[in-house]
Amino acid sequence: MKRIFLLSVFCIFIVQTGLPQIVNKEPLSARQTYYKIDARLDPETKIVSGSMEAYWVNKSTDIVPDIQLHLYMNAFKNNKSTFNQDAGMNLTDKKIEFGWIDLKSLKDRKGNDLLGRMSYISPDDNNADDQTVIRILTESPTKPGDTVFIKVDFETKLPKGSFRTGYADDYYFVGQWFPKFGVYEPAGMRYATAGGWNCHQFHRNSEFYSNHSVYDVNITVPEDYVTGSGGMLLNEVKASDGKSKTLTYRAEDIVDFAWTAWPGYAVFNDEWNHVKITLLIPHIRKDQVDRQFHAVKSALEYLTKNVGPFPWPHLTFIDPPTKGSFAGGMEYTTLFTSTSSDRMFDFLHLPEMVTVHEFGHAYFMGILASNEFEEPWLDEGVNSFWEARIMDQYWGENSGLINHPLFKIADKSYSRTSYVGSPDRQVTTNKEYSWNYPHGTYAMMSYTKAATVLYTLMGIIGEETTNEVFREYYKKWAFKHPSGRDFINVVNEVVTRVHGNKFGPDMNWFFDQTLYGTGLVDYKVRGFNNTKLRDFKGIVSEADSNRFVTNVIKDDTIFKSTAQLYRPGDVILPVDVMVHFSNGDTIQEIWDGKERFKDFVYTGVSEIDWVKIDPEYKLRMDINFTNNSKTNDADMVPIRRYMDKFIIFMQYFLNLMSL
Amino acid sequence: MKILTHLRSGALRSFKAWKGVLVVWVLILFLISLLALPVKSGFKSMIGSSMVSELLTDTVNIDVITDLGTGMGVIMPVMTIGLLLVLFFGFLMNVFVTGGLFSILGSNNDSKPSSRFFAGATSNFWSFLIIILTTLAMLMVTASVIGGIPIMIVRGGDAGTAEPGVVGKTVKIVLIILALMLPLFLLVADYARAWQVVHEEKKPFKAIGFGFSRTFRTLSVSYPLMLILVAFQTGFGALAASKLLSAKPDTGKAVFMFFLASQILFIIKILLRAWRYGSVTSAMEEVSDVIEVSPDQSVRDAELLQGQV
Ligand SMILES: [Zn+2]
Repeated sequence: MKRIFLLSVFCIFIVQTGLPQIVNKEPLSARQTYYKIDARLDPETKIVSGSMEAYWVNKSTDIVPDIQLHLYMNAFKNNKSTFNQDAGMNLTDKKIEFGWIDLKSLKDRKGNDLLGRMSYISPDDNNADDQTVIRILTESPTKPGDTVFIKVDFETKLPKGSFRTGYADDYYFVGQWFPKFGVYEPAGMRYATAGGWNCHQFHRNSEFYSNHSVYDVNITVPEDYVTGSGGMLLNEVKASDGKSKTLTYRAEDIVDFAWTAWPGYAVFNDEWNHVKITLLIPHIRKDQVDRQFHAVKSALEYLTKNVGPFPWPHLTFIDPPTKGSFAGGMEYTTLFTSTSSDRMFDFLHLPEMVTVHEFGHAYFMGILASNEFEEPWLDEGVNSFWEARIMDQYWGENSGLINHPLFKIADKSYSRTSYVGSPDRQVTTNKEYSWNYPHGTYAMMSYTKAATVLYTLMGIIGEETTNEVFREYYKKWAFKHPSGRDFINVVNEVVTRVHGNKFGPDMNWFFDQTLYGTGLVDYKVRGFNNTKLRDFKGIVSEADSNRFVTNVIKDDTIFKSTAQLYRPGDVILPVDVMVHFSNGDTIQEIWDGKERFKDFVYTGVSEIDWVKIDPEYKLRMDINFTNNSKTNDADMVPIRRYMDKFIIFMQYFLNLMSL
Repeated sequence: MKILTHLRSGALRSFKAWKGVLVVWVLILFLISLLALPVKSGFKSMIGSSMVSELLTDTVNIDVITDLGTGMGVIMPVMTIGLLLVLFFGFLMNVFVTGGLFSILGSNNDSKPSSRFFAGATSNFWSFLIIILTTLAMLMVTASVIGGIPIMIVRGGDAGTAEPGVVGKTVKIVLIILALMLPLFLLVADYARAWQVVHEEKKPFKAIGFGFSRTFRTLSVSYPLMLILVAFQTGFGALAASKLLSAKPDTGKAVFMFFLASQILFIIKILLRAWRYGSVTSAMEEVSDVIEVSPDQSVRDAELLQGQV
């Protein structure tokens, strides 16, 4: 009774005075939720026992009768969970080891038991067997400005490492492990029509959505374990028996808290401006430490310059060992995991790519905390777009992903080909909730199509305007919960500010066709022809010619030249057209693309010798670059060179094989 | 210095056999062209009058490959099957021409080199095939025993906590050991082949047996001889291949010159191979129990050079 009284006093104190600032100078977010957790890892049973005190503040004007929380770990509880149903779980697989979260006690601030007021709900699919969301009817409805406190004792049995979380031998990555509030969205927020909890179940093809919170977390692990988390390490105390230690972490204004523990980590530290960076990496991969730091610092530099500052003074990232690869490639804002292997070729920029990507989520999902359940493109697509820009900027325009003397791949090409080359590229639009994408198109649609859409937007509005869009998006929506519509509104505002009415009153036409449409972009040069005007004599004046003017002409050296353009794709975008003449002149045109075809006609002394639509390949959604141009004199030098090299390779190989 | 004598004799023999070297080059190039030319024209027709090849100037571009779409769908299986066929027949062809080369590198000459080349290539084909396959198999078994076991032991247990660099160091040591063992295998194969071409009876395993016994009986001369030859061959091959594969000629003329240069370098590469065969043949002929040889090597070399043999 006394403890609960003291807790209440403490909670009232921190709510009323604001939480003490330890990590950041000022609160960055509204901090509607708060978590204080004491956790102990038992390596024998693979159970994390936790005692959590948490609250949610009703910052809306609604009177809210309940609270809703995620129990993500129950996704691994049985084969009937929505998560495992999504995966078509095969129970004959003997390796399956389940994971779950047990609420041992659940009380309100007065110590009243809440377990009896708790029920499992399945807002997404009515799956009565899914236990990943709970609803608790509070004793009395929560009025605007009021706070709901809960105290929970729980046990989380970690699954054998599968989806981002769990264990493998003595390796632990502990994510989605504690009861976590959903997001209460009042009417108007993210265009919600009525107030309510946004608390989705755990799906296989989905990530998360949470308020920015403060976390005070104590983690007790065996003494020889090396740990890392999304928090700042404030204290480390060894138990008197010397067998365990307790680490005290504090994190502010992040949307999730995860941690890892493994005796095998080597710890490295570096700094970038105000950010102290910690890397946990297997000893055997020490030779990759510089690559990892270079990647994360490049991303910090690029995103700071083009989007906004990274506000936290600390950042931890993990390169999980091979056995812990289930934990790789995941983001928790001030903590993220990369991916590599014990031997990694220098030309293969996989670790860098994953590091840049997962770090990028500190912005697109961490700071700009969109709803990953409902609009996965707004974090994954936007973040993949920035990942590709960073990779191709720092590791070479043509070699962001692979930079081998014989073979290179740009990150932006990877995105485009994954979308363009997908047979399902038209199966649905990006309006879907993440788990609803059919035929395994979640990743293609959310990551690569969306990134390609943004590249295409950049091709139209320009790179600097695109950066300005993101700076404005950051300014307006940092530490809030923007929706796709909010992002598009920022695009509209910035584009009209910079370009006036050049693209119309807004850019909705672009997003409606590309992101929220299923049409394809395809432009084609049908051909060109040059006709000698034999009967012509005299002078060509301005009035005689559409575009091309030469004044003094003799006899019959005048041509009527026509460039014939065609739009096989349904998506209408403005395109640049370049027409080149045999005398070296080049004319730049803009075609609004509204009609299915367009002829540019010229009269002049020389003939067209090539025509290119989108000469800089800026409209990266275009499904076929090959038909974008026509020339009289195609350059086959690269083909000849590759075939010569093929011959050389075969000669040397056969020579070698015959000893 | 016996080694120098053999190297010199081998060089003379290989120069003498220049027609054979050219035949080897032409036959192999012809075979590869059977695949390369149709594939090249396939790509050319897919690109047609498009300017998209500008994206291929720096490197193979997966954007372009994706966009070639249906055409690639046709050309890829053709290329895959064609590649396997060329590798298979190219290997057999090389076995064949190696028989020819060995036949004209010996000093036992009673017919015209050109007829000896093809006669030798034909009569020794099966025997050479078995010798080469057996040597390759021995090489692979040795490599997997010498390489595989230590690496497995080093890696064993928990790879995540293994001492950094140990695996890398082990791999390096294993590679050095294998490189030092390679001349032994080549000596066995070369002595076996040199022995086979001068024997009517085609007995590849007897030849391999001879290869072993000769290799180890004359190790003090043979091994350094082969080490020098292999060093030349691999040094030249690696240098030429790396320069060629990383070169980026960007005009029609430059590509043509590039092709010429690459083929001249490859002819030199075959010449180096003939040098090795010739040197080993010379070393083999030195011991009189194999064939009748002139006791004075230099006399015969002079004769060889003048084409009087
Ligand atoms: Zn991501």
